[in-house]
Amino acid sequence: MQAHPSYQALAHILPKYPRAAGSVFQAYNDILHVQKWTDVKVVDLEGVSRAAITGKKPKTDVTLHVVPCSLAETLSFGWLTTTFTLLSDPPEILLAITSDDASIVYYKLSRGIVKPQV
Amino acid sequence: MSSTRPSGPPLHLRVANKKAYVWDVEDIATIRTKHRLCGVFTGTLPHLSQQNLFLGVPMVLLPEEVVLLVENESAVLVDDPKAYLEPSVAELQRWSAQENELAQLRLAQLAAATKDSPAMSEEAVQKRKERELKKKAAAEAKAAAEAASSESAETDTSVFKPPEEVAAPPAPVDVQYTVVIPASSTPFEWYNDSACAYTTIQSAKDAGIWEYPSDLHERAKCGVFRGLWEQGMFMGGGIKFGGDYLVYPGDPLRYHAHFSASVLDSPTSALTPMEIVAHGRLGTVTKKSHLLCGWDDEKKAVSYLSIEWAGFG
Repeated sequence: MQAHPSYQALAHILPKYPRAAGSVFQAYNDILHVQKWTDVKVVDLEGVSRAAITGKKPKTDVTLHVVPCSLAETLSFGWLTTTFTLLSDPPEILLAITSDDASIVYYKLSRGIVKPQV
Repeated sequence: MSSTRPSGPPLHLRVANKKAYVWDVEDIATIRTKHRLCGVFTGTLPHLSQQNLFLGVPMVLLPEEVVLLVENESAVLVDDPKAYLEPSVAELQRWSAQENELAQLRLAQLAAATKDSPAMSEEAVQKRKERELKKKAAAEAKAAAEAASSESAETDTSVFKPPEEVAAPPAPVDVQYTVVIPASSTPFEWYNDSACAYTTIQSAKDAGIWEYPSDLHERAKCGVFRGLWEQGMFMGGGIKFGGDYLVYPGDPLRYHAHFSASVLDSPTSALTPMEIVAHGRLGTVTKKSHLLCGWDDEKKAVSYLSIEWAGFG
């Protein structure tokens, strides 16, 4: 992992949160290299023992927040609310759910009752 | 909340076996239009009890709906079995007289109906049966005679003979009787629920006729149900979409559900990413968002998170 070109950007995070390192690393690479987001930054979220990734989708100007987690973790409603608070309450976060076979899926979580897009 | 205060007399929910039933069609209309609750129709036709496409009274309310109505002082819980008092002789005589009157009326109607279509009268049915029996006997005799005469010539080919025509059973001619089964017991003179009506959930629990909500999960469901209801939503059962409720922005007859909702008992109760994926993907496919409804039993407050597929990955 240390030899990977992305490691440098995450070097201050991954040793700090070994349990979340895998999903943070995987989500970061997916966002940067597969989704090709711009302005990609890493935000330390001590309260939930991991880092979030912020950035903008290509050709857009809205900063989005990605919170990585592993499929094997057990979360809770309180955990999700804490995450929102730690990111200073954005209207939505993207939960990046990673699995051992390197697949990743993103779900959008919005605060409150938000109608589905038509 | 002033909008939840009752404006009319409270509805009487008839409790039997810890379920609350509504028998009165007017009450059902009130519950639907004024209190924005749907309930579930469970009544079938007495002679076609297995069909469940068209159901009617009684309506069963979800336990959350019952708790909401009673807490809003819009309804009371009635211990239904106890509301049937011992009828006095005079009451029974009046009831019996009324029943007789109705029976006479029905007989008169029946007579009028059979006069119009004589084929329906019992006498005609009898005659027709006799005719058919005679015909059948004649046909059988003829067939037997034919078989006897051809038997010697066609013994080896008899297996190819078409199977003997089985006489079709005579078309049933039913004489239809109308039997009125009263749905509601309230008109009975000996029905009096004033001594067994409970105005609070606690008093009904103390009387042993009601249990809901009895634990954290049920309290969470009641709290979430009320929370969504106070936002103007209509709730139906959520089993078709794997949640606790389907949430409609208005009457389900007018709107599609925008959300399916699941209840999380406390901020710390387990939520696996797999659930988020499953709810999120199903909701997206069915053009719904999934609502995670988190109940906080200490604050007695509910908060919501909406799940949707992010659209990539």
